[in-house]
Amino acid sequence: MNAWLEHLPVVPVLAPLFAGAIMLFLPESRRSRAGLAVVAVLVQLATALVLAYLTSDAVLEVWPLGIGVYSIGKWPAPFGIVLVVDRLSALMLVLTATVALAALVYSLARWDRVGVNFHPLFQLLLMGLNGAFLTGDLFNLFVFVEVMLAASYGLLLHGSGASRVKAGLHYIIVNLVSSLLFLIGVALVYGVAGTLNMADLGPRVAQLPASDRGLFDIGATILGLAFLIKAAVWPLNFWLPAAYSSAAAPVAAIFSLLTKVGVYAIFRVGSLLNESGVHGPFGSDWLFAGGIATVAFGIIGMLSAQQLARLVAFSVIASSGTLLASAGLAPDAMTGPALFYLVSSVLASGAFFMVTGMTERTRTHYFESSDQAPLPIASYSAFGMEDSHDPLDVEDEVGIAIPAAMAFLGLAFVSCALLVSGLPPLSGFVSKFAMLSAAVEIAPTAELPVQSWIFVAAMLMTGLAAIVSLTRIGMRLFWSVVGRTTPRLRVIEAAPVALLLLLCVGLTVAAKPAMTYVQAAAQGLTSPQTYIDAVLSADPSASTAEGMP
Amino acid sequence: MSLALIVLLPFLGSLVAAFLPSNARNAEAWLAGLVAVTCAVLVADHYPEVANGEIIRFVVPWLPQFGLDLYFRMDGYAWMFAMLVTFMGALVVLYARYYMSPADPVPRFFSFLLAFMGAMVGVVLSGNLIQLVIFWELTSLTSFMLIAYWYHLSEARHGARTALTVTAMGGLSLLGGVLLLGEVAGGYDLDNVLAAGDVIRSHPWYPAILILVLLGALTKSAQFPFHFWLPHAMSAPTPVSAYLHSATMVKAGVFLLARLWPCLSGTDLWFWIVCLAGLSTLLLGAFSAIFQRDMKGVLAYSTISHLGLITLLLGMNSQLALVAAVFHMMNHATFKASLFMAAGIVDHGTGTRDLQRLSGLAHAMPITATLATVAAAAMAGVPLLNGFLSKEMFFAETVFAGQGPAVRIALPAMATIAGMFSVAYSLRLIHQVFFGPRAEDLPRAPHEPTRGMLVPSALLVLACLLVGILPSRTVGPLLETATRSILIDDMPTYSLAVWHGFTLPLLMSVLALVGGFVIYVLLYMHRRRSHGRTPFISRFDGRRTFDVMIIRLIRVAGFLHRLTSSRRLQTQLVLIVCIAAGAALLGAYVNKVAWGGMPVTRVDPTLALLWATGIACALGAAYQAKYHRLAALIMVGGTGLITCLTFAWFSAPDLALTQITVEVVTVVLILLGLRWLPRRIEMDDPRRRTVRARARRARDAVVAAVIGTSMAALVFAVLTRPRRLDLSSFFVEHSLPQAGGGNVVNVILVDFRAFDTFGEITVVGIVALTVYALLRRFRPAVESIDVPRAQREDLERRSQLAADPNEMLPSGFMMVPAVLVRLLLPMAGLVSLFFLLRGHNLPGGGFIGGLVLATAVIVQYMVGGALWVEARTRLKPLYWIATGLLAAGTAGIAAWFTGNTFLTSFAYELHLPLIGTVHLFSTLWFDIGVYMLVVGATVLMLVALAHQSLRSYRRPAPAPASSDLHVEAPSTAEVDR
Amino acid sequence: MEIIFALAIGVLTGSGVWLLLRPRTFQVIMGLALLSYAINLFIFAMGRLAIDRAPILDIGDPTAAAFYADPVPQALVLTAIVISFATTALLLVVILAARGLTGTDHVDGREGDA
Repeated sequence: MNAWLEHLPVVPVLAPLFAGAIMLFLPESRRSRAGLAVVAVLVQLATALVLAYLTSDAVLEVWPLGIGVYSIGKWPAPFGIVLVVDRLSALMLVLTATVALAALVYSLARWDRVGVNFHPLFQLLLMGLNGAFLTGDLFNLFVFVEVMLAASYGLLLHGSGASRVKAGLHYIIVNLVSSLLFLIGVALVYGVAGTLNMADLGPRVAQLPASDRGLFDIGATILGLAFLIKAAVWPLNFWLPAAYSSAAAPVAAIFSLLTKVGVYAIFRVGSLLNESGVHGPFGSDWLFAGGIATVAFGIIGMLSAQQLARLVAFSVIASSGTLLASAGLAPDAMTGPALFYLVSSVLASGAFFMVTGMTERTRTHYFESSDQAPLPIASYSAFGMEDSHDPLDVEDEVGIAIPAAMAFLGLAFVSCALLVSGLPPLSGFVSKFAMLSAAVEIAPTAELPVQSWIFVAAMLMTGLAAIVSLTRIGMRLFWSVVGRTTPRLRVIEAAPVALLLLLCVGLTVAAKPAMTYVQAAAQGLTSPQTYIDAVLSADPSASTAEGMP
Repeated sequence: MSLALIVLLPFLGSLVAAFLPSNARNAEAWLAGLVAVTCAVLVADHYPEVANGEIIRFVVPWLPQFGLDLYFRMDGYAWMFAMLVTFMGALVVLYARYYMSPADPVPRFFSFLLAFMGAMVGVVLSGNLIQLVIFWELTSLTSFMLIAYWYHLSEARHGARTALTVTAMGGLSLLGGVLLLGEVAGGYDLDNVLAAGDVIRSHPWYPAILILVLLGALTKSAQFPFHFWLPHAMSAPTPVSAYLHSATMVKAGVFLLARLWPCLSGTDLWFWIVCLAGLSTLLLGAFSAIFQRDMKGVLAYSTISHLGLITLLLGMNSQLALVAAVFHMMNHATFKASLFMAAGIVDHGTGTRDLQRLSGLAHAMPITATLATVAAAAMAGVPLLNGFLSKEMFFAETVFAGQGPAVRIALPAMATIAGMFSVAYSLRLIHQVFFGPRAEDLPRAPHEPTRGMLVPSALLVLACLLVGILPSRTVGPLLETATRSILIDDMPTYSLAVWHGFTLPLLMSVLALVGGFVIYVLLYMHRRRSHGRTPFISRFDGRRTFDVMIIRLIRVAGFLHRLTSSRRLQTQLVLIVCIAAGAALLGAYVNKVAWGGMPVTRVDPTLALLWATGIACALGAAYQAKYHRLAALIMVGGTGLITCLTFAWFSAPDLALTQITVEVVTVVLILLGLRWLPRRIEMDDPRRRTVRARARRARDAVVAAVIGTSMAALVFAVLTRPRRLDLSSFFVEHSLPQAGGGNVVNVILVDFRAFDTFGEITVVGIVALTVYALLRRFRPAVESIDVPRAQREDLERRSQLAADPNEMLPSGFMMVPAVLVRLLLPMAGLVSLFFLLRGHNLPGGGFIGGLVLATAVIVQYMVGGALWVEARTRLKPLYWIATGLLAAGTAGIAAWFTGNTFLTSFAYELHLPLIGTVHLFSTLWFDIGVYMLVVGATVLMLVALAHQSLRSYRRPAPAPASSDLHVEAPSTAEVDR
Repeated sequence: MEIIFALAIGVLTGSGVWLLLRPRTFQVIMGLALLSYAINLFIFAMGRLAIDRAPILDIGDPTAAAFYADPVPQALVLTAIVISFATTALLLVVILAARGLTGTDHVDGREGDA
């Protein structure tokens, strides 16, 4: 294996970091920073794809178990921090990079200039996401989640304005509290089990004396709770609609990944603690109940939503509820379809937030900070940067009205609606169908548990609610005769949306290979022993790169 | 292969059509027509095979893991329907070409029309039930788009939405039913399912399956009580009504019923549900049709009633009935479509479809009149027309469906009455529109339309006649093929003759004709009094009920949402902490967590005293934080101080150092911030004393107490357990030999777990960036703009001696401290470097060093004033941050070139005066990165915050005089509150 | 000793939670400060308590690893301190901005009931 290829797992963390850092030297002007940002995201995408390729069955000579372990600082697994790439991580990385690319290009239209430092923050958010998906260490997971959150605070507040700051305040405080819970959980786990390495956890927990076991479970429970808050489970998700709907469109688009980090953590850590049968949120019944409650909350939220952005936010809630419920219902059978659904719903909600941004362009003047005095000149020299041109004049710089604009918006809206509501023919339907058929197959028809019925009902209900509310709002948006101005559509905004939607179409057409891949990824979760062996047997000193220049 | 082509072609066509220019009516029509005809030919091409009972299959694997493949399957029945859809499609396209006005944006119309055609063909050719559901929903969507084609009309929008909601709901429940069906039958393939009839009927899930599937079928076919969407779908352009809402889409429901007939029918449940739905729809539709004013309204209700008739037949569990049903599907399609076309022609020619206004058009448009009359006669079931045959079969079935006496009497009677109604409305339609006196006050002068609009209608009428006169020659074999493919071997014997001799069915037909005529005559006498409102049942308006339901649903959702959610932060936080505590306590209770076995060490009075103070501070802060912010801040700081002493006490010097420095910076930050918060005088608000407020405080106190105690218990439980040595011993053992650092904690930070530090400093950097971005847009609250008193006096004092940022030292009473502070800066720099360098072996490290320097810098600001400082030092925090990140990153990457993994440390020795021998590790480089970043970030935050005061003074006192007021003012301002 | 430690953490947590549930932003930020002290002490406690055993080694010092206090929690606490410092600073600024934009220092951006 090429010595440089060996370092690939760490690249998704480093690329955005360096990009973000270098940007700070560049003037707060459009071209240079944006260009660098795009390059960085492309690098991440390429890396993610290569990693996905390496973890697939195609090439087993690189990573025999199909799992890449990269030990930071050459310290062996339970002691040092390791990055672990298995199919699931690779999948999440690809997904992240894709949505990021779309959101970034979209933001170049004008969104990146309504405040300062959009691009550095964006890159660092990606660093946090990638790190969270890669790390194999519990505390390191905390650190990267913090990186992600810190950047998300910045991006949520990007463009300032009363509504954003209000939503941001709640978002920040809630997340700070959940971070404290996270810390308590990690600390307890260390204090009792004496390790921070996720793979090391399972075996150690199995050997815990019964007396310590209870304490450990408390730790795990609190940890799970922290994850659940991130995953926006009811009743811990009231912050989400306000935050997501008040964020700038591209930011909201990338945010559709954030809740999935919580879901990922639950899937990952939950699977590694699996044999040990931990109570609390990791216990399947709790998870299922919470998931269904969340779905229900999403449904009523969608029905009662008055603006599109809020509606989409609630659909995000519903989707993570679906994921949790499916994980609680029958992890073995459902995880594969659930992952398929995760990918599809992230792409869909990402696209949908962007479409929302375009449709609302015509009606709302989207940042309210016009009356804010900039800093006195002296302080710019002090901060070593000339003032970026006043963000307020970007507003009039909008694209020319082209006749196809309305058609494109309409088409995009309908596609997003189909995806979100899980109506045929797009991937939303495929994934929902897969989950449903898995749900009715988990037991011979005679003794099918009542949970399956609840799940099926919930899925169908979500679809119906989405249809009712989306037709209502969609008709108001597109077919309101009074005072409709033809929207200004710019290719740079349309292209990313088109990209995401086309990917969904691709998922639909290539359902078979896609499903095969996610099922293989699910395999890694349902039988974690491979993961554990791969991590604990990894020998960093066997690095093959001796005598490199 | 060609099967797939038949389905694919219309979709491709629709894609192309969408991109043609919006005025290209002919191009569009040619394209659509071509597609339709090609499909029709392709379908017809398969007749020989299906005629001798073959089933043509074409499978494309799609999602085999879940038994979902694209499976196109054509047997006789599917063939018949495919033919119907494509052929009718061709006619409608031709008709539409002349119907649509040049002003209409036709691309949208034709592209959706073609898409619908594809979806409909897909439904009939689906060999996989899930795939069928997919196309099913597609028909709903395209129909939605077509109904709302003229979306500037509110009626169109509303009708479209109603149709979509109802049919999509049906589609979802159909999906559910099909899932269960596939699970029971062991596969979604139609072949499987049809073969598994007995298994299905005997399965416990059968009722559920049946109800779900029926919900799907009945909503689609507009059966009672879901019929209401169809009349409102009439706001679609007439070609659409003729195609979707009479000939094809609404047939999908009954199509499915017949398709699944072999595996679902034959039970009493089936009989009762389907028959009741069919019968009630039949009567209700026919009855309401009599009283409509709009021509299309009449046709819509009659369509409903005819679909009811078909449903009724399907419900009867008899093969012969099935044959009749299939036969009537075809017949109804032919005459109803032509009638719709006629209605459209009238609309075009006269500008209205109102039966009250129309009259005597036969003079103006004779051809149309003739065609319409014949078609209507077929609809009424007049002999020698196709409608007569199927209707007579229907009558016969009602007579011979032997299900107890009640049914045996009631069913024929009802059928006859329904027959009368249908005669009545057919008569009314024709007579009022085409006969009687010429209408005068019509919007347009009636005239015969172009041939293009007549031809399709004429062809259909011709079909009606041919079938009606020579059934066995024309339609016989087709019907045979179609029905045989459904009931494979138990085909009933039937004759398609016009004349069966004097039979009871014939009598019923005659009765129907006569009765219908009578009804109409009675009605005609006071036609003026009928205002399109149906007597008796008009107040049971399904549509209004539906709307109300939707509105209620939304209102209820809103209510529930307010109930289950909250925008108040406090509620959210209470929930979080309570759930966390609850989960923990539950866990503790469930697996009986107990104290550990370790002995408790002796209490040291000093520490006890220390913490007595600490606890007092904490409580005091909690109590004071609302009205005495400064006091609270100081007390919190005290707690922090004691925390840091505790760290020192329990052998954690690094923590102690870090805590103290962080403490300082945080306090400074908050002091700078305090100035912007509104002043609050104690006991100034009455709300404190309300019961609710007291109750909430009580609740919070309890919550806090519980959580505090459980935390204490938790800690104690851990502390009384033996510690795990594995990790710590590894680190201690490897720290010196491998990592070459004596201070294990620092080594962990910069080597063993450097990646954490890496992320951690990133967080600090990000926060700095965010703070900066936020404060550039900072807008102080109005009342905190004006300068606090302390500074105002200060201001006056200064206004005498001209302040100048460029002078050597800040003038005024700040001169002396300024001198001291300026001397302090280099010292602080040295100290910070010292900490940085020794960090690896002794307490210290980049972070602490960085904070020390940052503190020194900010002290400069506090004493010298922002402008005065910046006139001299030009520090660029952003660059420091960036450099710090890059340094840390490169320190990690450097390892790559030694063939090691990221952040692997490597070293060489360096001899320095004073400090002595230093192992220069890559980790030091890393630590320098930390150092720089911390300096940059902290300074950036503090400065950005400090600068706000500059901004605020602009309004009261203009530029230079005010410019070097300094930033510690807010704290004094705070003190004298 | 352990008892005092546990009590201290308990009280810090309690008062922190109390402040966290108050309606004024300043109270909340103070509460978070207290809570983060509590959590830091908590993490620290996971290494158990040891006196005069700071994990600082000399070259060629033979003492067994078991002698020293557990360095891992200390490192974790260091990271935690830094992060909570950063986030506190951010929260402070957001609070100021909110106060500026909404005109109140109520956590909900509008004067609720006390």
